[in-house]
Amino acid sequence: MFSPHHWFEALAQSPLGHYTQTSRWAFAVIEMVHLIALAILGGSVLFLDLRLLGVVLRDESAAAISRDLGRVLLLSLSVMVLSGIGLLSEEAMKCYYSPAFRCKMALLAAAVVFYFTVHRRTAQRADTRTVSLSQRAVAVISLLLWLGVGVAGRAIGLL
Amino acid sequence: MAQPLLQHLCQVLYDSPFGTSIRESDNAFSLIESVHVLSITLLVGSISVLDLRILGLILREIPVVRIARAVLPLTWAGFGVMFASGFLLFWAEAAKSYLNPAFRVKVVLLLLVGLNPLIFHTTVYRRVTEWEREHRSPWRARAAACASLLLWSSVIVAGRAIAYF
Repeated sequence: MFSPHHWFEALAQSPLGHYTQTSRWAFAVIEMVHLIALAILGGSVLFLDLRLLGVVLRDESAAAISRDLGRVLLLSLSVMVLSGIGLLSEEAMKCYYSPAFRCKMALLAAAVVFYFTVHRRTAQRADTRTVSLSQRAVAVISLLLWLGVGVAGRAIGLL
Repeated sequence: MAQPLLQHLCQVLYDSPFGTSIRESDNAFSLIESVHVLSITLLVGSISVLDLRILGLILREIPVVRIARAVLPLTWAGFGVMFASGFLLFWAEAAKSYLNPAFRVKVVLLLLVGLNPLIFHTTVYRRVTEWEREHRSPWRARAAACASLLLWSSVIVAGRAIAYF
């Protein structure tokens, strides 16, 4: 199996890479899509976790909210991953060596795994009468992980 | 040299010690900008939950008013943070922003995005109890929700474009 270093090089030299590196507007437009998807993703995560914390819509089924907002989350996440690859193709090697980028990828992996395992299960089991301690913990961890992804992503451009 | 009043005010803000200190500091501008960008999720993310409900795409079993009551405090909090951070960013770069076409477009879009809910709340929303349980809201409500999503996306696009002019 080729190393990550190889894949990053391959992306930088791919047709997509050449396009984003030479075009005047490509990076900006892809970044705008990335930001719009970020707003939707952040909104669904926030709303979902506030429900788990019992702060909003406490009388409504957390399972139903998780099902609907989960769909929004996955759709916006897909857009973010695709646009993210587009952004990466413009500066692949710089990101490869960037501590902020590596941090962001690690947090993203953690957030996604956490979502598909603990988070979904907890939301499906939650009832409307009580907010358990484990529910609160899951919500807080989720919010911190996703916030971390956002902050690390911001740091890529600054460090 | 005669300057339009508005441009003169922007120049005064730009030259002020406060504006200059933000602009020239190593970290302040980046930090304020980071807060501004990440708070998009609080402001736009929350209102899009309501918009998607009105469009009948999510949470159809929950009446619209209940969703609105859950969402709007978050949206207002987000607006507060965005306005404060945005104003500080503007203050630091006021003279340049005045001349920036992307910034001007963004201001116009922000006025429109404020006008949209104003119209919505004083017209079709007045009778919301008649339609809040429907899976399919009245077309005027759906138009407002669509406009909201499009306008906010445009604000984000214009905001990002500022750095390119």
